[in-house]
Amino acid sequence: MSTTQQEPQKITIKDLQTENPRWCVGCGDFGIVMGLKRFMVDQQLPLENTVNVSGIGCSGRAPNYINTYGVHAIHGRPITVALGLALARPDLNVFIHSGDGDALSIGGNHLIHGINKNFNCVFIMYDNELYALTKSQTSPTTRIGHKTNTQPRGTYLEPLNPIRLALGIGASFVAGTADWMPDHFTTTLNAAFAHKGFSFVHVLQRCPHFDPHNFQHKETAWFSFLRHDKGIAPDKRVADKTEIIDHDPSNLEQAFKFANEKRKYFGLFYHDPAKPRYDDILIRQTKDTPQASLDTLFNDYRIE
Amino acid sequence: MNIKRKISRFELLMDAGFGAQKAGDILISAFAKMGKYVYIEPMIPAEISPPPRTRPALSGVIIRLGDLDLTNIGNDTDLILASHEIVLDRRLDDGETNEKAQVLLDMGDQKNNGESYEQVLKRLTKMGLKVISFEITAEAQDAIKVLGGKGKNMYYLGMLSAIYNMPNTILVEEIKATFGKKLKGDILDKNIAIFQLGYDFAKTNIPFSFDIQGVPHGKEQVLIDGNSALSLGVIHAGIKFFSGYPITPASSIMHNLARLLPSYGGMVHQAEDEIAAIGAAIGSYFGGVPAVTCTSGPGLSLKQEFIGYASVAEIPLIVIDAQRSGPSTGMPTKTEQSDLPAAIFGSHGDNTKIVISVANVIDCFYAPLVARYLAERLRLPVFIMSDFQTANSYKVIEKPKMADIKTVDDIPDFVLERFRLKRLPAKIEMVRDSQLNPGTPGGMRRVTGLNTDAQGKVNYFSATNQRSHQVRNEKVHHVKRCLTEPERFGGDSGEILIIGWGSSRGSIEEAVNNLTKEGVKAGGMHFKIVHPLPEKKMLTDIFSKYKKVVTVELAYGDPLKHPPLMMLLRDETLFDVNCIICRATGRPLQPANIAAKAREEIAKTYESHPSKVTV
Repeated sequence: MSTTQQEPQKITIKDLQTENPRWCVGCGDFGIVMGLKRFMVDQQLPLENTVNVSGIGCSGRAPNYINTYGVHAIHGRPITVALGLALARPDLNVFIHSGDGDALSIGGNHLIHGINKNFNCVFIMYDNELYALTKSQTSPTTRIGHKTNTQPRGTYLEPLNPIRLALGIGASFVAGTADWMPDHFTTTLNAAFAHKGFSFVHVLQRCPHFDPHNFQHKETAWFSFLRHDKGIAPDKRVADKTEIIDHDPSNLEQAFKFANEKRKYFGLFYHDPAKPRYDDILIRQTKDTPQASLDTLFNDYRIE
Repeated sequence: MNIKRKISRFELLMDAGFGAQKAGDILISAFAKMGKYVYIEPMIPAEISPPPRTRPALSGVIIRLGDLDLTNIGNDTDLILASHEIVLDRRLDDGETNEKAQVLLDMGDQKNNGESYEQVLKRLTKMGLKVISFEITAEAQDAIKVLGGKGKNMYYLGMLSAIYNMPNTILVEEIKATFGKKLKGDILDKNIAIFQLGYDFAKTNIPFSFDIQGVPHGKEQVLIDGNSALSLGVIHAGIKFFSGYPITPASSIMHNLARLLPSYGGMVHQAEDEIAAIGAAIGSYFGGVPAVTCTSGPGLSLKQEFIGYASVAEIPLIVIDAQRSGPSTGMPTKTEQSDLPAAIFGSHGDNTKIVISVANVIDCFYAPLVARYLAERLRLPVFIMSDFQTANSYKVIEKPKMADIKTVDDIPDFVLERFRLKRLPAKIEMVRDSQLNPGTPGGMRRVTGLNTDAQGKVNYFSATNQRSHQVRNEKVHHVKRCLTEPERFGGDSGEILIIGWGSSRGSIEEAVNNLTKEGVKAGGMHFKIVHPLPEKKMLTDIFSKYKKVVTVELAYGDPLKHPPLMMLLRDETLFDVNCIICRATGRPLQPANIAAKAREEIAKTYESHPSKVTV
């Protein structure tokens, strides 16, 4: 039988398009989805072996705009669907898209257990610090004093700190980046994808419609980059415009210190490649168990 | 006096934590070995160890045994063995003893509770029940003391074995098989010694015994409970992924599968909550790997949003609901059939799903295969409705026939017929044209809970949304059109037709048979698939042959509230369907009760009230 070896077609950004996203002009989600596509092209990830899973909110729409398989699930629960998929189909690359409300409020329980189970996926947390699709309500990360439709006198409490939360639960990979730094974002995804486990990627995401002045994306003085040869390189475009700190991502104590500061840090806070993975354990258990035949199914229930 | 019986029912009543359930399990295994048929109902408190000598502490077993296949727990008890007066008093409230019942009451606690004993003894006299009071012998007491107060159950086990004319050797074998691996040699010996003392005591001191014939069962017969049968059925159906969250009475399905599923190429995921459990099952099935999640009442409430999602996203899904008494936390260790509306109508918006139910352990074994067939062919959620009674009832059955299931179309005809279903049409329209699994090149597609067109593109256009509803509902209608006549008992016309679903089958069958024997023209009918129901004409053709059509249900109803099945049948047929039993007592349906209510119903003449619910 003769075979004609065909060179697999190179994946381009165009292959990843579906339809024009229905996000507001200037929305940070465009940057995140474009960054993910660039990453997929860089890695030449087969489209059919990639699944984007999301919850509800503006971020939840992301899978619809990326030409892979996708599950736009229900509010707060994308981690649960992604875990089922990762356990049943370890051959697939799983990306989770979840907003600050989705991940930290309605889906907080699943985030805890997703991180703890450390199953293999890239978890992209879109943090625009409010509920946007429902038109401006306070979310767990809304800054104190910020006026929203549900807390019109100003948000009551200090925001939850997602990076500290992830570190505190024992995440094996914790990185921070922003939607407006395409180079840094893609580099971050490369590192997150290379890590086998639950890669927690926190992304500051602009919401020009409901909170246009939140992130001063044209300024650089308010943040620093964390850099290390085992870490994530600072964004090429702005690296010379702000502070760069050397940080060893195996240093958990120092990671907490950065996370606790008011100042923002972008880069790899923490990385533990050795943390055991729930998916790996379950899959290995099935693989290592001698397979039984249906003939023996009732053996434990025989009468004699 | 040796009483020969075809069927007898007895009860062992103790405080929780003292091994009544273990004693019951050992006894029924021994009975099964001797060729008898058994049906067991555990009475378990929802707590692990409530304070002893209180009414909530009652833990016991009701065992019905006979020399013919038993389909239900029966009506009334011939013999009660109670470890003290309080658990006995609690149980007498249910009024399930027959007029000749004998009560064996352990007087061991009488010394400090004379007054309490006196009151209960008076109650027994008033009820006309014969009491034989006894005390555990001093020798056995000493052995029990050595075991730290445990081991009474072995003494009672010995007594019951003797009263039911069981050879003690069989029991000793069963005790060894049960405890052999767990208990050290000397402790095991002590247990056996206590058993023997109880056995000898009863042989000499109890003036009667029951003799139930039995022909030894063949090699192909097994003794199995509903939850175990469901677990094995999941494996047989080729399901490879199970996710759940601990909840009574569904947990033992997860226990079984955690042990077994890896040996059959699958895995069990214990999720962080009920929602996560169903989410993971959906994830697995989206990946093309057959999955099941399993729960009970409160968990069903939590899962509802995902159930609606699966039907809209067209992801196959199987949900097992082992019903318990609700609403809310209710009575976790009692049986009920009141989740039916939550299964059929639960989740917001117009809902499309299939609800199948199990009547016995054989149904439990085949239900996962039927559910998988329907879930994958229709890409809809499919419920398997069991309940506490079915989950925990052991039965001797012929080892079920098995099939090699590669795809769902390999489902054998006899399994479909068991659930009164014909094969679905070859082509079933989906909302989205493409339903390929991840990993298929060129088939990339996104699913969403938003409305989409046939290409899977989100839109909010009127006609598109209407079409989506129509296509989803048409999937359910396919099943409706494929339903054959439900199972029937008794006469095909007459005074009354008694209808039930799920676990009520056995009691209805027995009640109808007894009524027929008495000369009452009665029929019975049982639904395994409860949603959709068969088409109107099929039902009304049957209904119109009876003067009265009634349901019996383990769900609350009263003259101003129609219980679920009655409501559904009225809606489906516009027929004057009434209900004669709508109990939410946590007790299973009993044939004698159904027959009595049926006789009352036949005798009644109604004036003009449109609906009649007998309380």
